[in-house]
Amino acid sequence: MNDLLRKYRWQFSGMVAHLIQRITGLLLLVYLFLHVRTVHALAEGPAAFDHAVSTFSNPFFKLLEIALLGAVILHALNGVRITLLDLGLAHNRQRQLFWAWSIGVGAVIFLAGAIPMFLFAVLK
Amino acid sequence: MNAVWWYTQRITGAALLLLLIAHFWVEHFVSENLLRGDLTYAAIRARIATPAWQAIDIAFLLIALLHGLSGLRSILLDFSRIGRNGARIFTAALIVVGAVWAYWGIEAFRNLR
Repeated sequence: MNDLLRKYRWQFSGMVAHLIQRITGLLLLVYLFLHVRTVHALAEGPAAFDHAVSTFSNPFFKLLEIALLGAVILHALNGVRITLLDLGLAHNRQRQLFWAWSIGVGAVIFLAGAIPMFLFAVLK
Repeated sequence: MNAVWWYTQRITGAALLLLLIAHFWVEHFVSENLLRGDLTYAAIRARIATPAWQAIDIAFLLIALLHGLSGLRSILLDFSRIGRNGARIFTAALIVVGAVWAYWGIEAFRNLR
């Protein structure tokens, strides 16, 4: 019974990590599309580019930028974790690695960026 | 063949981590304007008018597309039972999408001198 529970937990956390990786991955691909779309205004000159960028100066987009930071951090740290596991390193620690690294370290980096962004960009 | 995709995803992922940190730094922290979030044409042009930065940015885009679209391919092949031919057609379609997307991104530099 205990073994069964342990196995279930192992799969649970792995499955959550897997799902997070795919959802954030899709969101980042959508962001890459929007990003190239904005950057493409460089070809139409200074006025067009500055106009394109000004769209993102309102608080709503600043909040989305904070969400983007979160998605990038989750995807990157979890990607490092998956690569370590694939290389056969720390595979018996995958659950701890998910919570301590992807979520724990991720939350610290996220807050270090999100708090200043919220104070100086959203509330500005 | 799937092993090649698998390795590509890990290697491009590692490269993207380094490129993204550098990108984030040069676009948001290197000058007073950028620190304030003033991403103006003038501020950006100073950097991307140089061929070396254009090469880095283009490489960044290509690696991101390779990683992102092959990730999308993994998701669709896992969730749908489209068969061997379906997978081939889907892969071919993604290569076309990637090529158009890459051209679209690179073309943004056409008027910079």
